[in-house]
Order: sequence, then C-alpha cells, then structure tokens
Amino acid sequence: MAKELTHLKTHEDAIYSCSRIGDCREAVMVSVGKYGVCPVYAHSPGFEAFYARGRLLVAQGLLEGAIEPSAALADVAYQCTTCGSCKWSCHMTFEPSVRLFCEQHIPDHTKIWEALRADLVESAIGPMPRHKEILAWMRQDHNPYNERHQNRRTWIPKGVDVPAAGKTLFFAGCTGAYRRPEMLQPLLRLAQTTRTPLAVSPDEWCCGSVASRTGDLPLASDLAQHNGQLFRQMGARTLITNCAGCYRTLKLEYPNLVEGYDFEVLHTTEWLNSLVQKGRLTFKPLNATVTYHDPCHLGRHSRIYDAPRALLHAIPRLNVVEMKRNREHAWCCGAGGGVKSAFPDLALKIGADRIHEALDTGAQYLVSACPFCKTNLQDAASAEAATLQVVDILELLGQTAKS
Amino acid sequence: MMHERVLGALRDIVGSEFVADEDFVVYAYSRSNDPALPPRPPEYVVRPKSAEEVSAILTLANKKRLGVVPRGGGACLTGGSKPIQEGGIVLDLTRMNRILSIDEETMVVVAEAGITWAALNAALGEKGYWTGNLGPGSGMSATIGGGLSHHSVGGGGGAMFGPCTRNCAGLEVVLPTGALVHTGSWANTAATRPFGHFGGGPDLFAMFLGDNGLLGIKTKAVLNIYPKPKLHECKTFTIPAEGSDDRAAKILYDWRKQGSEVLYDAFYFHPLLTFGYTGGLAGVEGYKGFFDASGSPRNAGVLFYVAVADHEATLKANVKTLDAVMTKHGGEALGPEVANGNIARWFYEKDGHWMIFHGLWGCLGKRSIACTTEHVEPIWQFPLTNRALDRWAEDHREELALVNGISGAGHIMLADHFNVESDTGFITQNRPELREQNLKLWKSQAEFLAKQGVMYYMMGETLSLAMVDAKVFQGPYYDLLRALKRTLDPNGVLSPGKFRL
Repeated sequence: MAKELTHLKTHEDAIYSCSRIGDCREAVMVSVGKYGVCPVYAHSPGFEAFYARGRLLVAQGLLEGAIEPSAALADVAYQCTTCGSCKWSCHMTFEPSVRLFCEQHIPDHTKIWEALRADLVESAIGPMPRHKEILAWMRQDHNPYNERHQNRRTWIPKGVDVPAAGKTLFFAGCTGAYRRPEMLQPLLRLAQTTRTPLAVSPDEWCCGSVASRTGDLPLASDLAQHNGQLFRQMGARTLITNCAGCYRTLKLEYPNLVEGYDFEVLHTTEWLNSLVQKGRLTFKPLNATVTYHDPCHLGRHSRIYDAPRALLHAIPRLNVVEMKRNREHAWCCGAGGGVKSAFPDLALKIGADRIHEALDTGAQYLVSACPFCKTNLQDAASAEAATLQVVDILELLGQTAKS
Repeated sequence: MMHERVLGALRDIVGSEFVADEDFVVYAYSRSNDPALPPRPPEYVVRPKSAEEVSAILTLANKKRLGVVPRGGGACLTGGSKPIQEGGIVLDLTRMNRILSIDEETMVVVAEAGITWAALNAALGEKGYWTGNLGPGSGMSATIGGGLSHHSVGGGGGAMFGPCTRNCAGLEVVLPTGALVHTGSWANTAATRPFGHFGGGPDLFAMFLGDNGLLGIKTKAVLNIYPKPKLHECKTFTIPAEGSDDRAAKILYDWRKQGSEVLYDAFYFHPLLTFGYTGGLAGVEGYKGFFDASGSPRNAGVLFYVAVADHEATLKANVKTLDAVMTKHGGEALGPEVANGNIARWFYEKDGHWMIFHGLWGCLGKRSIACTTEHVEPIWQFPLTNRALDRWAEDHREELALVNGISGAGHIMLADHFNVESDTGFITQNRPELREQNLKLWKSQAEFLAKQGVMYYMMGETLSLAMVDAKVFQGPYYDLLRALKRTLDPNGVLSPGKFRL
C-alpha cells in the first residue's frame, strides 16, 4: 500500500465535483476565441489520463484505493505544463453575469495536479529523474542551473552601480540571472531613465517555483522562508520581477508560505506601465509588427493581460496584432510545470504550435514576458526554421525607450 | 497469455502508442458522468485512426470474444461510454476527427465521427454555414458520432431542426462483425458523393441512428448544412410560479403552432431551476440575471426563445406573434441584456447553448451531480409527468434525504414537432459511499418514468436497462430488436449489456 495521499486528499471535494463533461479536452468556443484547451492532450497519445477530466478520475481512483501510484502514472502526471487552461475551460462562460458553479467547487485545477505530484514525491515515485537533479542543485546552490550562488549578480554589466538592498527590490530570478542576462539588462537602463532606485540582492535564492511545480514542497517552503526573511531584512516594500513564474510564486504563493508576508509584488510590465501612465517613460517609434504571447503564469494564473499590451501600444508606429488564441485562451509555450526539463520533445511540439500561430499573424517579433517562454519559443522557432524573432518585452522596451 | 496476445494484436492494428492497458489509463475510462454506477475499467483502451482499424479491432474481438464499447466524447450521462460488463475494449474514437469535405453543391459536410460538434461548426462557420441542430448540450466535448447514437438535442436548434439525427444524410458504419457499410445514398456505389438519407428500399440507415452504440460503430457521418441565418432575436420572460408548468406547456404549444417559422429554440425553466441558477440552492453566487430588483432570487418560471430569419419582416412579424402568446399567458419580458436576465442572448450569441446544462452541475453545492432521466414526451404531457415525478419524490423522500438529493425537472426544451425534451432526474452527491443508494434511486425513477410513457434517447446503461426492466417495450418490438442484434452481432461483442442484450 502506498503512502497516504495527504495532499491529494485536501482537494477531495474538488476532485469529486467534476461533472466529467470534458470541455477541458479540446473545447472550441468561437464567440470568445477559444480554439482548443489542453496542449499536452494535443500532443500525447490522447488517452483520458492526459487531460483534466481523466486526471480527475485517476485522482478519484487513487483516493478510493482502486489504483496505486506508480512510475508509469508519475510519467503521465508530470506531462502537464500546469498552464491552467483546463481551469479556464471548466469555469468558462466569459459572460460576467453567468457563473458556473464549478468555478466555486473546483477553484484551481493546477493545485490538484501539483498536490498529486507532492504525494508522488513523498512516496519516492516522483519527480522525474531530471527534476531530481535540478532540485538537488536548488538545495545546494539555490538555483536550478547548477551555477555558483555567488555569481547571481554577474548579469549586471560592469560599471553599472546597483545597490544590494533597498525599498524597491528587483527580484532577478534564476533564469534571467544565469541564462538570459540580455532580458534583464534593459531594465537597468529603464530604471536609470526613470530615476528609479532598484536594488538587486546577492542573497536572492530561487523563488521555488520549480520545486512547487514538481512537488517538492519542503524545498519550496525553505526557499520561500529564506527570501521572505531577506526581503524583510533589507527593508523592501516593493518587489519587482520580470519572470512570470517568479511573479506567480512571489505574489500568489508566498503569502501562504511566509508568515506576515505583506510586500507589494509587481511584474515589470505592471511597474513600467505605471511609469508610462505617469509620463515618466516614453518610447521612440519602431516600424515593426509584433504579436504578444501571454505567459501562463502571468496570464491565466495571475490575470495580467493588459499591462504588457499597453506597453506595446505605447511604442509609436509599432503594429501590435493578436494571435488567434490570446489572453485566457492563449496556447501555452510548452515549457512550464517541469515539462521543458523532463519532456523536452513535448515542450518543443507545443512551442511549435505557438510559433506557427505567431507566423500566421505576419509579425516579425513574437514578444513574451517570461524567460521560460522566451527560451522554449526560441528553441521551437529554431526547430521550425521560423523567421520571426522571439524577444522578451523588456528587450523591445529597452531598445525603444527615450533616455 | 491471452491478455498479452490481444495486446500485441491491438498494437499491430493501431500502433503501440494508441493502445493502453495500464491500470490508471484504463481507470480513466471506468465511469461516465453519473454519481451512481460503479467504476468498471476496461481491459484495454484503443484509439483507432480509421474505419479499417475499427474493423480489424472488431474482427479480433469476435475471434477472442471480447466486448467492445465505442466511445465518442465520453459525455454520456447514463453510463453509455464505459463497459457495462467486466473488461473488454473501449474504443476511444476521438482521434478520428477530420472534416473530409464541405460540399457546397449538395450542402452536406462529410466528417469523421470523432470530431466534436463545436469544432465542426467552427469550421463550417468560417464559410457561413452550420449544422442547424448543434448536437447535445455538451457539444464542445461530445462528438458527432456520439450525438447521432443518441438522437442528441439540446445544444442548439432543437425547435427548428429537431434531434441531430434528422439532419444526418449518410453514415459509414463498421458492423459488429467488422464489415464496413455505408447508408443512405452512400449505399449506391455509383453515386459520386453522398447526398441524402432516403431511398434504396427499407430504411436500414435509421437503425443506426440513436442506437446507443448497439448495432454498429459510426466512423463517418454526412450531415446536412445550412447557411447561418442573417438575423436573430433572443428574448427571456418570467411567468408566475404558481401553475408554471401548465402555463409553460400552453406557451410552448402556442409558440410551436403560431411561430415555428422562426423558432430556433425555446426553453422553459421550472421555478426551482430558476432558483437553482441563482446559486440559491447551494448558497453560492450564480446567474445574476435571475435576481429581482430587490436582490432576491426570482420565484418564477422562466421561458426563453431564440428566433432566426433572413428577412427583417419575417422576423418582426413572427416575433410579434411569439410575444403576443407570452403576453396572453401572463409572461413578462426581462431586459434585453444577459445581465438583465436575458439568458437567451447568452445562449445564442455567446455559445451558451453548449453550457446551458452546466448550470445544473454543482447547483446543490460541492460534489452535486445529476442522475438524469431526461426523455422526450409531448408538450401536453410534461406537466403531468412532472406531477407524477413529484409523487415519486414524495414516495422516496427518506431515500432521497439519505443522499441529500433533490428530484425534479430541469430544463424543458422544444424538440421534435410538438414534443419536448425534458431534463428530469435528481441531483445527488458524488460520493463513493452513496453510489449504491444513488443507483437504487436512479433505477427506481427511470423505471417509474418509463411507465409514464416517456421515451428515453440517451440510454447508456441505466436508461436502456430501465426500459427493458420496466417491461414497457412492446414484446414483438423487443423481439425484433433482439433478432436484429443477433443477426448483426452473432457473438454479442458490441456494447454488451445495453438493453440487456
């Protein structure tokens, strides 16, 4: 008999509230621009266990003891980008005055998938082998890239003076700091332009998103405790981050993990948009066509859809076009939930869908606001030999900002 | 050994990727939507890509005497898309989801049976067409094969187009023995394209429509298509709670008789359902439009219609007639917007037709799901049936209390001719420990209603058995059905157990 599924059990009511209608598989809803739901289902063998309805029935079977956790089950449980599209399919009416009760009875499907993963980790069945390596690095050096912790600020160009502490802290995140410095560096210029003192701490640890997504809850909690204490010690009031995953974790998860957590958390797009609204940030014209990809952590999970678009519209002559699927209905980039590391081929296939959707718009730039999205979409664009450039919104803003 | 041999043979037919026997994968096919039937996982799940693969699987099933259950979107509410007996194969047909042709000369679409109603109509919509009847209320998940196996109605267009089977102009069916047949004009090998249902002698086509997967597996379907109407009008009305069923029956009858030229859909909500929609039964926030000016849930029956036409004069004249009927019977129009209570507008303009039934689920709180006894009956009969159902509920008050259940009629919608589809049933709790009690009540209500003379259509396990167990099938009719089944399926491999066959 496997270890008791304590995490899954906390979601028992939600699991048994599923009406099993199956709109979470591949619903099409032309009136709101929904064309498909589950990116994993679309690229899997397509059995029920690969999308939300089937996963919930599997969860029922586990809770009833009809089936036992297994390595094969874990392999499928981890094939989920936790993009949250199933939630927005289950809750959908997109008509403010018509609410479906499932919205209240199954508030967040992603939490159920993550609870199952937590149980699999506690049963020593999960996570995937590649996740185990990454989580070990996070324990050792507080980042998922096996980089030395003391190199956390090396992304800051030489000669640029950035304080290590302050009231407004820029939480760089591991992917930006260690893998995507080109995404972060424009922010320093924008901060300088707008005369905003931003601090970057050398003691920042990984936000823990990777641990939460893959089910290592003790590690996620340790990282959160450290960072929470760090924010307090430096007297921070506002946390700004450019990583959609960090944003979701700092904004939505830390309040449940860190006692007395009361920091203002902003995504860079929210912060910069507020500066644009105040007239403190303006842009030079750019003759180009761009399309914006909503990162799942920023969009569906955190409901930030308007700020990035407002910023793009603030660049004169920039032609901003939407992909067929956008906002709540945006197709995932394919990287989230540990899929990029454990199932890279699946991540690329999902990313390729998005690349082709972006190409259909005629855009020269595919813009996102998340380092994971940029990485996977760039990989997918290369694999598809696509001509469009994948950039982070900060790069575009840095390029066009008036000094 | 037998298991491994079958597994290998199935893999040879469809490829290893599309055959599963892992416990958790097959478990995900063990239940339908109901909170009553016990989980019955199949031994294998197979996802074929073509009629030829389906045929090969059925040939294998005959050799090995394995039961095969065809499954479309898996949205059957009565246990039809999972095994009734132990083990066997579930054929998940959702991989067969291509549109093969949109024939604008014949005005038909040919599609594989595993495509959903929503995906099919989205593609047709790009050319300005639709299928008229938009399948079942679960059309974003339900497939056309499943809909045609159930005479589905409810996802839009029921009043104007009847059940979806009325618009079916041809089928490709794999018979239980594995033979592949085409029906309707498709049976004529000289016909270049399929064009219609009728002709060619006895209507063998019809026996596969609404068969609940008993007589063959639909792999392709030909559906009539229509230009989408240019104009529409959506209106929602309240009627007094007292005597609302009788009043609603009169209204639906008069609407049908006087305004059917434009009547695309007409729905009636019993006052309890109106209250349920507000969230009042569950103590949660529901549909804002069904609250009155003082902020209280309306104690009223609600009716709505959707009228469509291509010409303004036609629409106006018919809407006037429909509205006059409503005024005559004491109805009051709600405001024009969805937020004012005009749920018809949401239904027609915002894909609400594929969500209108979702409002029932969870309306009694967490884990609350319906055991449905939805059926077809004449307009005049539904108030009588509802009263009979109230008597049944009174007779089973204590048993219903054990499961915190509420029995009654949900949506009543104008369907075929002067008939309605009536969403009766009871809402209960989806808890493993209550399944046995739920099933007992479900069987009891299903047999009770069958004896009131109603006809079930989405019959699956529970309602197909209820018709037989209630002994309401005329003897010679059931003998004919059994003889047909034996002829087409001598080894009894297809959907074993449905209709007790």
